[in-house]
Amino acid sequence: MTERRPNRTLGPDHDTFWSYCNLGEFRLQKCNTCAKVQWPPTPMCNECLSDQFTWTPMSGRATINTYCTFERPYYKECPPPWEAVLVELEEGPLFMSNPKGFSVEGRPRGTPVKLAFLDCEDDAGPFKLPVFELA
Amino acid sequence: MGYDLARLRQISDQVAVVGVGDTDYAKDYESARLARQAGQDETGALDSYGLAALAFRRALQDSGLKKEDIDGIAVGGPVVHQRVCEILGINPVWGLEGAQADVLLPQAVQAIASGACTTVALIYGNAQRSMGTRYGGGHVGPDQPTSYYYYHPWGWSSQGAHYAMMFKAHQLMYGSTEEQLGTVSRTIRKHAMLNDNAVMKTPISEDDYNNARYIARPLKIYDYCLVNDGGVAIILTTKERAAACAKPPVLVSGFGRATAEVGATQLRDRMFDLYHAVLKASGDECFAMAGMTTKDVTHFQTYDAFSVHLPINLEGFGFCKPGEGLEYIQNGRIEIGGELPCNTSGGMLSESYMQSWNHQVEAVRQLRHEAGRRQVEGAETSMFCHHGSGGAFSIMYRRGV
Repeated sequence: MTERRPNRTLGPDHDTFWSYCNLGEFRLQKCNTCAKVQWPPTPMCNECLSDQFTWTPMSGRATINTYCTFERPYYKECPPPWEAVLVELEEGPLFMSNPKGFSVEGRPRGTPVKLAFLDCEDDAGPFKLPVFELA
Repeated sequence: MGYDLARLRQISDQVAVVGVGDTDYAKDYESARLARQAGQDETGALDSYGLAALAFRRALQDSGLKKEDIDGIAVGGPVVHQRVCEILGINPVWGLEGAQADVLLPQAVQAIASGACTTVALIYGNAQRSMGTRYGGGHVGPDQPTSYYYYHPWGWSSQGAHYAMMFKAHQLMYGSTEEQLGTVSRTIRKHAMLNDNAVMKTPISEDDYNNARYIARPLKIYDYCLVNDGGVAIILTTKERAAACAKPPVLVSGFGRATAEVGATQLRDRMFDLYHAVLKASGDECFAMAGMTTKDVTHFQTYDAFSVHLPINLEGFGFCKPGEGLEYIQNGRIEIGGELPCNTSGGMLSESYMQSWNHQVEAVRQLRHEAGRRQVEGAETSMFCHHGSGGAFSIMYRRGV
């Protein structure tokens, strides 16, 4: 079933991220010069100022950093209680997401999770959204 | 790389706040509420410019200066510099716009100390409640920090969500509790009850807090600041000119600014470190410039859009150790009459959501010893601090007589 979601930020570099997601691939920009992994998409490496990146597959392994539950509606597409989780990817970046198939409440920092994709749709059309389930 | 302490020391205590003005927060809030209840438009209400202009006129009167003395103007809130100057009939030789008081005030001090101008009015007007300003949701766009809108597809936004996740991180790291956090809002409300111009003056009991509804769990409605209309103005001039002004001068002794812009969208420093490193850096600069330590602070205020700011700032600025902020604030320590009275006017949680502007007014009133029922006895110094999206800002004031 396709879930309606609030609009993504699209444009140069952002489009590339979502295009890979739509192929079921979770790729982030890795700097060709210094190997730093960037998120969100960027025109320039904030370590060495190179503009040469390789969109590199992430392992999909992550751990819970922190979370919150919205108890009042902020988006018509996301009725409360609405859980959000910030995960730390194995490759370093912190990634905002949603839990899939579990509740965040009571989970300790460091709880292992793994990537999943959710079939979604916004004003720009259907897309696959990276979310995380218990590992 | 960084600041030049020798030069900063030269401008410590050289510029003074000589005038403050604010609008009738409580009365305006109540009349708007009654008008809405009666299904009427709020007639006679001021827009952001009207609020800014009224605050300016009051600050000018407070200072004893003439309009012609003002040669620098910096504005904050949703008002444009040119229009504010036009409304007030002033052509300044120095100006800035669009930031919070704790960002603008140090820049005004630098402008005055350098000789670029002599007397600056910092002016803020924000009819945010009347305008229906909402902080979070799908309408938030790229004119805001990236973390405010980039996570829309995951249903995550609002400044409150930043602090909900930050408090959750504090809980996960240190085992702090919601009950402990409740002390912040309850104490600040108690202070607001001593301030006739505070919007919220109903006491909050422990039960009230513990049973309150969540907005973004673990934060409850009392952990969130108000959204109300208002204006604030602050006038600064040289220490020499201040001597001829109407009220005792309040000197700007120090300020500090440290940022964690890198990684801000990922919320890295916010969640891994609870901003402790940038808070410490900002505090170190401010204390060194002022020639003071935490022990010299007799009155302390923090930006309090959310209750969470207070314990985090006390930890970061070195009043207690990381993780101990919520223990530190218990048992009356931050109350008027306690060891470190905090946010004595009611702050943004209970007095008025003036985005750091009302705190500067309160610092001045406390140091002039004109705070009435909420006066902190022996207030000689006042520190303000703020951490927001990607940075930490601090100001130290000293009673000038």
